[in-house]
Amino acid sequence: MAPNLRLNAVAFISPQNHPILIRTFSKPDETAIKYHYIAHTSLDVIEERVSTKSSDCYLGLLYSMEDVAIYGYITPLKVKIVIALALSDSVVRDMEINMIFKALHMAYYSAISNPFLTLEESSGHDSSRSLLAGSPKWKNLRSRIDEIARIVGNSSGASTGG
Amino acid sequence: MSGRSSLQIPSSTSSSSIPAHLTPLAALTDPPIRHVDSAMMDYFLIEVVNTLRESSKVALNREREREKEMVEAGLIPPLALPAKDNKDGTISARDSTGSLASTKGGKTAAAGPIDEEEEALKLRLEAIGMHVGSNFSERLCRDRALFTETLDAIKFICKDIWVACWDKQVDNLRTNHRGVYVLQDNSFKTISRLSSWQGRPDAVRKAKVYVSMPAGIIKGALSRLGYNATVSPEVTTLPQCTFQVKLPKGS
Repeated sequence: MAPNLRLNAVAFISPQNHPILIRTFSKPDETAIKYHYIAHTSLDVIEERVSTKSSDCYLGLLYSMEDVAIYGYITPLKVKIVIALALSDSVVRDMEINMIFKALHMAYYSAISNPFLTLEESSGHDSSRSLLAGSPKWKNLRSRIDEIARIVGNSSGASTGG
Repeated sequence: MSGRSSLQIPSSTSSSSIPAHLTPLAALTDPPIRHVDSAMMDYFLIEVVNTLRESSKVALNREREREKEMVEAGLIPPLALPAKDNKDGTISARDSTGSLASTKGGKTAAAGPIDEEEEALKLRLEAIGMHVGSNFSERLCRDRALFTETLDAIKFICKDIWVACWDKQVDNLRTNHRGVYVLQDNSFKTISRLSSWQGRPDAVRKAKVYVSMPAGIIKGALSRLGYNATVSPEVTTLPQCTFQVKLPKGS
């Protein structure tokens, strides 16, 4: 069965609950601010899930809104990754979403390992890191995320069924 | 010298049931492991210490020049440090010999500036270690579950980070259950091959500089996990080394 996963948006949130990067892949006429709102509301759901059922990184389906389903993942270092998938009728397997999350985590890790990224604010204020997320230095992370989204998007087009 | 061991970044076992259309994604999920030769880390540390020693000397000299200029211009009142007069006299001597140990014995009045330089050097090493530790712990945390409590995080450090960096686990972990942990390693790899022609006490003194980078690695890893601890390394006899980790109250 051809899977029909369409990644609408990806959001990274820092351990101090500041947004690091929110990237949307939806059609240009939709307002992207909706995904900022979605990332914000998922914070509460994540808090709840983490306090009760801890010891697992993949948090599964957090909730679903009008046309998107929101999945969450928290790394042991408390960085939260939230993705919004377009609702579809096909079966969505946990394992695939988990793989997407792991790939996103690797992308984040590769971008973060660049020591020149946080060199200016070495005084340790995490809040200013979020402001840098739009700047050219974070282009690496953005291009990696675009790559992941492309793969996920292509997969639905590539397989011809069966 | 025995065969080189490599510093491995652990990878998860690959699942065999990946749907075909997502295999490119799998390549991104589990990138190939990169190995780093562990001997390279030793060489690197040696060079780093020498380079940073010179660079921190230059930085401190620059600062003192500026202070001197400001004092002469009357902007700030002259600082009443007795060691300040000796500093300018001994700077040229120290630069030519390039070794702090040989000048240390004679001049106790100049001990102030020398300690300052060692402190600056240790601070730089610790900052580098913090960067490395925080980023490396991100990688190591990839496949494990969330941390349940503080002791869990310390155990993660004792096992995963030490195995990845120094090929062994911590030999002894003690705690007073009130936020202070003592990690003891009976043959710490970084200083196990360190010796000084001036004898044991001098080697211990030099080792203190070299262990500040591993202390920084531990501190960086802990800070990423959310605990702002202070890590103080102690070397009493080579090659044994202890790290005292103090976690702030309430964690």
